[in-house]
Amino acid sequence: MTRQNPAIYFGKKLFMFLFSVLLLSIIVFYISRLAPGDPLVSYYGDRVEKMSPQERIWAEDKLGLNQPVSIQYICWLRNALHGNFGISYKYKADVTEVIRGRIDNTLLLGGIGFLFIFLLALFLGTVCAWNEDKLLDRLICKAGTITSCIPEFWLSLVLILIFAVNLKWLPSSGAYTVGKPNDMGDRILHLILPLIIVVTSHLWYYAYMIRNKLLEEVRADYVLLAKSKGLKKGSIMYRHCLRNILPSYFSLMAISVPHILGGTYIVETVFSYPGIGTLSYESARYKDYNLLMLLCILSGILVILCNMIAQIINEKIDPRVKAGRREQG
Amino acid sequence: MNTSFEIAGIKQVPKEEPELKKKWYYGKPVFAIFFLFFIVISCLACDLIMPKDPTYMDLSNFNQSPNSEFLFGTDTMGRDIFSMIWSGGRISLWIGIFSAIISTFLGILFGAVSGSAPQWADTLLMRLTEILLSVPGLLMVLLIQAVLGKANVLSISFVIGITSWMSIAKVVRIEVRQLRNSEYVIASKCMGGSFFHILWNHLTPNFISSIMFMVVMNIRSAIIAESTLSFMGIGLPIETISWGSMLSLSEKALLTNSWWIILIPGGFLLATLLCITSLGNYLRRNVNQKNSNL
Amino acid sequence: MSALLDVKNLSISFFTPRGEIQAVRDVSLSLQPGEVLAVVGESGCGKSVMCKGIMRLLCSSAKIKSGSIFVNGVDITSYKERDMHKLRGKLFSMIFQDPMTSLNPTMTIGAQIAEAVKAHQPKISGKELDNRVIELMKLVGIERPAERRRLYPYHFSGGMRQRSVMAIALAGNPQILFADEPTTSLDVTIQSQILNLLRELQKNLKTATVFVTHDLGVAAQAADRIAVMYAGKIVEIGTTEEVFHDPRHPYTWGLMQALPAFSKGRDRLHTIPGMPPDLISPPKGDAFACRNEYALKIDYEEAPPMFSVTDTHYAATWLLDKRAPKITPPVMKLSEGSCCKKDLIAPEKDLTLSSHVPIPENRKVILDVRNLCHTFSLGQKRSLKAVDDVSFQIREGEIFGLVGESGSGKSTLARCIMNIYPHQEGSILYKGINTCDQKAFRKNKKMLQRERQLIFQDSASSLNGRMKVGDIIAEPMKIQHIAPPRGTYRKEAEFQMHYVGLDHSYLDQYPPQLSGGQRQRVAIARALSMEPKLLVADEPVASLDVSIQAQIINLFRHLQAEHGFSFLFISHDLAMVEFLCDRVGVMYQGKLVETAPVKELFAHPGHPYTKALLSAIPTLNPEEERSVQH
Repeated sequence: MTRQNPAIYFGKKLFMFLFSVLLLSIIVFYISRLAPGDPLVSYYGDRVEKMSPQERIWAEDKLGLNQPVSIQYICWLRNALHGNFGISYKYKADVTEVIRGRIDNTLLLGGIGFLFIFLLALFLGTVCAWNEDKLLDRLICKAGTITSCIPEFWLSLVLILIFAVNLKWLPSSGAYTVGKPNDMGDRILHLILPLIIVVTSHLWYYAYMIRNKLLEEVRADYVLLAKSKGLKKGSIMYRHCLRNILPSYFSLMAISVPHILGGTYIVETVFSYPGIGTLSYESARYKDYNLLMLLCILSGILVILCNMIAQIINEKIDPRVKAGRREQG
Repeated sequence: MNTSFEIAGIKQVPKEEPELKKKWYYGKPVFAIFFLFFIVISCLACDLIMPKDPTYMDLSNFNQSPNSEFLFGTDTMGRDIFSMIWSGGRISLWIGIFSAIISTFLGILFGAVSGSAPQWADTLLMRLTEILLSVPGLLMVLLIQAVLGKANVLSISFVIGITSWMSIAKVVRIEVRQLRNSEYVIASKCMGGSFFHILWNHLTPNFISSIMFMVVMNIRSAIIAESTLSFMGIGLPIETISWGSMLSLSEKALLTNSWWIILIPGGFLLATLLCITSLGNYLRRNVNQKNSNL
Repeated sequence: MSALLDVKNLSISFFTPRGEIQAVRDVSLSLQPGEVLAVVGESGCGKSVMCKGIMRLLCSSAKIKSGSIFVNGVDITSYKERDMHKLRGKLFSMIFQDPMTSLNPTMTIGAQIAEAVKAHQPKISGKELDNRVIELMKLVGIERPAERRRLYPYHFSGGMRQRSVMAIALAGNPQILFADEPTTSLDVTIQSQILNLLRELQKNLKTATVFVTHDLGVAAQAADRIAVMYAGKIVEIGTTEEVFHDPRHPYTWGLMQALPAFSKGRDRLHTIPGMPPDLISPPKGDAFACRNEYALKIDYEEAPPMFSVTDTHYAATWLLDKRAPKITPPVMKLSEGSCCKKDLIAPEKDLTLSSHVPIPENRKVILDVRNLCHTFSLGQKRSLKAVDDVSFQIREGEIFGLVGESGSGKSTLARCIMNIYPHQEGSILYKGINTCDQKAFRKNKKMLQRERQLIFQDSASSLNGRMKVGDIIAEPMKIQHIAPPRGTYRKEAEFQMHYVGLDHSYLDQYPPQLSGGQRQRVAIARALSMEPKLLVADEPVASLDVSIQAQIINLFRHLQAEHGFSFLFISHDLAMVEFLCDRVGVMYQGKLVETAPVKELFAHPGHPYTKALLSAIPTLNPEEERSVQH
């Protein structure tokens, strides 16, 4: 196999990345402008209905909405390249500021959730594969199937009903108690229920994946050879089987990042947790163009980046992929 | 002296088939099928079951806990939850099936095109699918629905349908690729089998089993998506009763600790989803009976 | 002398949803230090299960039902997993059939060998470990071990991988080595290399070896003693000389006669009729009775005990009972050399017996391949020339054999002839029609599709598993809109099935329910239903058992004589080709290196590769093998 120059390899990837982001921004821009709805509502609220035509034209002119879409896009792109993404119509502030105020919360929730999911899935999947078809495995599988069926929002409601409304152990909304934004303990208390929801709603999907991949791996012939050379069951599992599935698990988890972060959206809504999720929904609903653009591009970057990481993991770490490419060319 | 030592030569020995002790329902999700059947029939025949008009807001009897008049209680707007369950279930199931049809159709179309296209087109189409797949599905539905504005049953099925075809497309593509190179298809081609002959006799039977699971699972995720959307207030309006829109009242219910408004519709929703899932898992259960080497 | 391994009345069963499969039934054998025991039998007769059962490598659905296993006098039958893993690698070790899958693809070869060393010497220092790995790799004949241990399995060819597996198996200096068909999935020339290596290692290291194989020739070459297994039982066991010169069990007779070398000069191969029994409900009495022309009445009633022939030779057949009639075994005297290598190379004397009547030159040429090339593109700038400038002709009614190892382009050639691959270079004339020419092909499409038929190697994948056997056989007739001559398609399918020796009760079954041999018969029936003029068979018997192979080859021979179609027979097995074909072509790396009438080729091989192929055929004469060894 001919070895590729790493500079060229990453150069290509970088080019693909920038190109995809550009393409994404064009698509989002056009779709959002062409979709029905009145952006002025988000800026002026209910006043829009009372506006005279002249006022409307003036307002649209002020927001740069009366030009053809392509000109608007070029304007936006020029500003964006200088780091100016415009103002949010609703919050009347620079969109970067608006997002900055919320992104920490989402990252905290999503990040911790991701970590939990990543480790727990690996653990549960391995435990299940180890005890294949035994009672423990069956129990975990049953429980997993049930949790994966429960709609997130309903589980949130039930947990709130139990822990917040009836038992009054945990708070039911917000990221912190009003007036105490720096109290760590309080923040953690607020995080517990949302975190449980985020983790349970994704966990089984990945754990089950691990379980199935491991079971496939355990049926491979090399396991017999490893066994016949005198390795213990445990070391075959960890040194051979688990190791072999890790690359594909990593790449899967890379793709899962946007899913998990995006999945926090429902949780944020139910728990009135101030995060990016609610923001994106509002911006789409009320045609807050600039905010929507930046949010879409940010999530687009995340998606593309994660996809690329997954691809690189696949291509660089797993010798089997290399072998496959060698055989096909 | 002993005739048993005569040469008998080759004789056919009647083969004793070991009797299978397993009952016919062994390994089949009997309970799930019965329950699903029960729900579907009841929802279809809801006009006969419902004791009250599910849309009638009885303001003198709002937020009643379950009692003999209102079996499952009433919601915050005074509607009878027992009646709502059946008429709402009809809408939820209908949305699930309708969007599953849309997504299956799109998935098969896209997968078949990608699977039979030349290499470069296949790569392009699959990259697109992967990108779409890595965008959180619900978020995509939310954004599209938010842009479209007010929803009705058809529009919501449509939105859910066009955002959930990707995984079917992937499966179909792999299946098509494999089948295209399988020897019995080559053999059939050699014998002069036309495209439609091969499609009908060879591809379809092999296809259906691998797709059924995905279709069932799509029904499930469509029902989840609808209920989530309606709960958020961007799906069906409160007046259109579905299990999701019934739950959209639950924030008010939380304030008054009216558990039945949350637990009863949700319980029915969950039970239905579980049944669908076990049905799907049964369809997927593969024939591969290879044993573990560990 | 105490036995190293002593197996007493071992029975192993698999408990499956279908019922209990009695894979090993009441097997007793012992193994002395330094001895080589070959276990021979058809697939599914429990050879491999027995070895894996002794090493306790079977899956959890397999249970040792009764019996005991003694190693060095210690009963290890009741050992738990934590005791067993200490024994594996050190006391006994195993080489598996398929080297392509038995190595972990994501670990370097060196690391996998090192792991095996470390499993028994956990405190070994890094330097010593490296040395030991290199030493082991040298031992199994891997050159430049210091570099190669850093390579992944995918860098290695099948033979090299099998060597690596051997290095792993030998890492713990085991006393017993189980070799489970170690050469079956390798090419013929590689097979003999690996076999030689095994013998050499065995001689140097004095490791007792249990050698599992379905090939009597291989067993004759390698073993001191031979055990013949059938339906989970050992039916005959003795020293190699005893088993070969004085076989007592009818199954052993059958196995030996089924080898093509025995049928030299006859017009059909000897076969064992029928199939091995289903071990879910093994038949009462002797399991072999229903395939045994010498079966006694009592064989259908009561299972025979082990009769002793000599101190070392035992056989389980009622024929050895005092009351049984004396049977003269079918002629198969090895000492006269009817099937040894000398004979293979020596010119054939009794031409009269042979059916190899040369095809007259004036017969019409039916298939004419001229300068055919086919190249697969392997991505950027790389390509593989699978078929490289191949030219040959097949006359009407001729059987043309094509031999060569895997990857030599045989299958590609067959597929080019059948117009499966798009045409690239050269031309293929069928009855004077250039089938490579799109226009000419389209014009004669119907006729070509009818007259040329293809049989694939793997009947499991060439028959649609979701179609009934009857529909499969009738498929080409339906496609070609041929009105069935016998009324209905069903009747027609029934007729074809009888024709290829299948019972019509299979008509409504699905291919996965049939055995390999039966499926291949269905594939043949499907091809024959079109009354082809040219039949192309791509390794049609490669995936079948020896006795079944012989059945299919006989069928081909019979059908060809009856229909008179021209036949392109592709195989890697020279013996089969020798038996069946009129002319042979040898393919090597995409080129057709030699074409000759079959006798001439075997008598005077021209190309060095042909010579290598011929010399790699295992012979059946133990003495000769031994004399070569010592």
